[in-house]
Amino acid sequence: MRSIRRSSELVRSALAALALAGVGCSNELPAPLPSAATDASQPRRGGMLTTASFGDIRTLDPANVADGLVPQILESMFAGLIDYDVEGKIVPDLAERWTVSEDGTQFRFVLREGVRFHDGEELTADDVKRSVERALHPTSPNPYASYLASISGFARFVGGKAEHLDGVTVDGRYVVTFRLDAPDAAFLPLLAMPPLRPVCRSGGTRYVETWHPCGAGPFKLLPGGWDHGRQITVVRHDGYFRPGLPYLDAVRTLFHVNLTSQRFKFTTGDQDILRDFLSPDLLKFQADPRWKPYGEYELDKQVAGLAMNTEMAPFDNIELRRAIASALDREHLVLIRAANMRPANLPVPPAVEGYDATLKGQTFDLTAALEHMKRAGYAYDPVARTGGYPTPIPYTTYSQGIDEYMVQVTMQQLARIGIRLDVRVVDYAAFLALRGRRKQVAFGPAFWTQDYPEAGSFLEPLFHSRSINDEESNNSAFYANPRVDELVDRARHELDAARRKKIYGEAQEIICDEAPWAFTHYYRFYAQWHPYVRDYKPHPMATTDPTRVWIDRVAGRTAARAVFSGDVYAKLFGDGSPRGAPLSRSAGPR
Amino acid sequence: MGVAIVGALVLFALLGPLLSSHDPYESDFVRGISADKLPVGPNATFWLGTDRLFRDELVRLAVGARLSLFIGIAATLIATATGGVVGIIAGWFEGRMLDAALMRIVDIGLAFPFLLLVMALAAALDHTTPTTILLTLGLTGWLGTARIVRAKTMQLRNLDFVTASRALGQSTPMIMLRHVLPNVAGPLVVVATVSVAQMILAESVLSFLGGGIAPPTPTWGHMLFEGQDYFTTSPWISLAPGLAIMASVLGFNMLGEGLRDALDPQKQ
Repeated sequence: MRSIRRSSELVRSALAALALAGVGCSNELPAPLPSAATDASQPRRGGMLTTASFGDIRTLDPANVADGLVPQILESMFAGLIDYDVEGKIVPDLAERWTVSEDGTQFRFVLREGVRFHDGEELTADDVKRSVERALHPTSPNPYASYLASISGFARFVGGKAEHLDGVTVDGRYVVTFRLDAPDAAFLPLLAMPPLRPVCRSGGTRYVETWHPCGAGPFKLLPGGWDHGRQITVVRHDGYFRPGLPYLDAVRTLFHVNLTSQRFKFTTGDQDILRDFLSPDLLKFQADPRWKPYGEYELDKQVAGLAMNTEMAPFDNIELRRAIASALDREHLVLIRAANMRPANLPVPPAVEGYDATLKGQTFDLTAALEHMKRAGYAYDPVARTGGYPTPIPYTTYSQGIDEYMVQVTMQQLARIGIRLDVRVVDYAAFLALRGRRKQVAFGPAFWTQDYPEAGSFLEPLFHSRSINDEESNNSAFYANPRVDELVDRARHELDAARRKKIYGEAQEIICDEAPWAFTHYYRFYAQWHPYVRDYKPHPMATTDPTRVWIDRVAGRTAARAVFSGDVYAKLFGDGSPRGAPLSRSAGPR
Repeated sequence: MGVAIVGALVLFALLGPLLSSHDPYESDFVRGISADKLPVGPNATFWLGTDRLFRDELVRLAVGARLSLFIGIAATLIATATGGVVGIIAGWFEGRMLDAALMRIVDIGLAFPFLLLVMALAAALDHTTPTTILLTLGLTGWLGTARIVRAKTMQLRNLDFVTASRALGQSTPMIMLRHVLPNVAGPLVVVATVSVAQMILAESVLSFLGGGIAPPTPTWGHMLFEGQDYFTTSPWISLAPGLAIMASVLGFNMLGEGLRDALDPQKQ
């Protein structure tokens, strides 16, 4: 009797849990939060912009861009000689203008006068040279350093044989010149990225981890503004060289916020811009006409595929690699995350200079794939299901990422040409370590995000033999082809854009044919914001550039949620506002 | 009721794949995907809808049932056999060095949370298969059983019929086999039945947290994990394995309770 009673209690509890689950399972998106004045065109000062990420940052120094999230925070704190505008064009920033010598080896920058660092000191040409040397010094863990090897004297400087970098000279208080050993098409794109941006004199001449970040960008970090692992808040730099900018009082980035939490924070107005979506949520936002005007894709900056280790069996057999590249139906693969992925047939994503839409690249062709299997010596009869590669090929991937789903569809597609996979799942850190180690991983996922917006940023690290190392090899297919090496090197020294594109095109055709990777998709992020976030446009390189963004928010329940604790407010603004006081400026105009 | 639920589960595991003509490992990019590129909900073609890779949820659930039941029962057999042997030996030699050594091993094992121990072992394995998972669960799940059997053996060893057997010159292993084992079998069966539920749950947790069997093999825990991102748009992906886990745990627990009541002499 007791048993029956307990059982029915259990059943009742279970039903109650189900009912609760059903209640929480709402399919409707809330409406966007409106702006205070829909017709306002004059930017208003004040307010705080909040963004969030599931990731984190470890460093905040232009000389050590260690994490993918760092550039967007650096963009708001450190101004460069030049920068990318929201259209992806290189424009002057700290430099008022620049000239390039006829042979393309000298770049002379004239700086704006009166630019102030966050600490109030004036920025001069000496600061530019000091910051470049600090960033490229061998004691600096700068992942970009090797890209800048074309600067004269680089080898002697990083080799410790010279105290200063000869290729950077100060030609006046506001004039600095960069000399290159040879023309380098990547130089300006690289200079527009964060690594060489000037830092305050407190940054010294050598990289030090304990330095408090200080630059000449529109926002500055106050002591206590970075709560490691939780959030960072940067506040307006009142001495910013562009008059009247920025409009915002502060920009806050929250870390380690999972995707579901971000979705709810965003829809309730506790987060102003949403970028990390659950796949079905993104489809819903995009399909909702109320949200559609306030969302935009960022540029495709990431290519992904399956890397086949050319030094290991069976992928030392080029025909087998070609078979796999031809067997992947990319149109189906991208349906796994339809809102973010587009089919990839080339190593260079469409938004990157050097992409050539006229190239055929790798395409799905089952007949060709079966023919390649035959040539590889593993003929497969898809009707009788006989033949094919005799044993399952080990495939190493990482747990709980998108590839865990990609590989399941890949397995279905490769089964059609007689290839079976033996999937081994490891954690992400172990995967990265194994993938970069020689003769460790035969087959697995690969992906790359641009370091600078030019084809070389993909082809050199991924497919140049120079990028092969015994450990931490970026060239995870361990692919070496002297012709590809020569083309990639030649393109980098070619300053004519059309000729460079042609050279890169030839390299891409060879890579697609020899298939060290079977390219699968380009990944692009989508940004969604509330209508009260004005003049926001995703930045092509830094994701978010808050310099010209302004907030026009209705005061009310959701607006009042944006509160600082009194201590933090006092630290950030120094006016001793009472604990828990709402950041009234975030609610509208002053 | 427990018998009915467990019976239904077994039938579903055996016959479920026959209910659908779909391949549990094959995505259907034509009928399994909606116009807005989401999995389709339950319909005439896919009775339980499709999962996030547009595969038939029903047939995957049935294949998952086979795996979950197999792992749950096999791991329980290992745990019960190991726990039974260790418990009888320790109980028989109570107070001696052997008993102390065995019980310290049990104490140390029980000091670790069961799931944490299982996860650590699974993470240490280079390659997880159904066999490695059931061995991991079985070889870590016997500790509680050993304690219960030891206590029961300690009671039995001083009873008259055991003393009589010793006086008649029966060897210790024979007494254990003929007199002790049959008398601890009742509680052992009850513990084992409840243990199946725990093993199914442990395997699900392990798979949910990414330490289980590698994809694309369907396991209820991993199916639950795969559905969590889609809970607001395609709740059936999570609900189906969630309900299956709940039903199996409920069924085996109720079966265990029923057996305990049936085998309890005081209730008879």
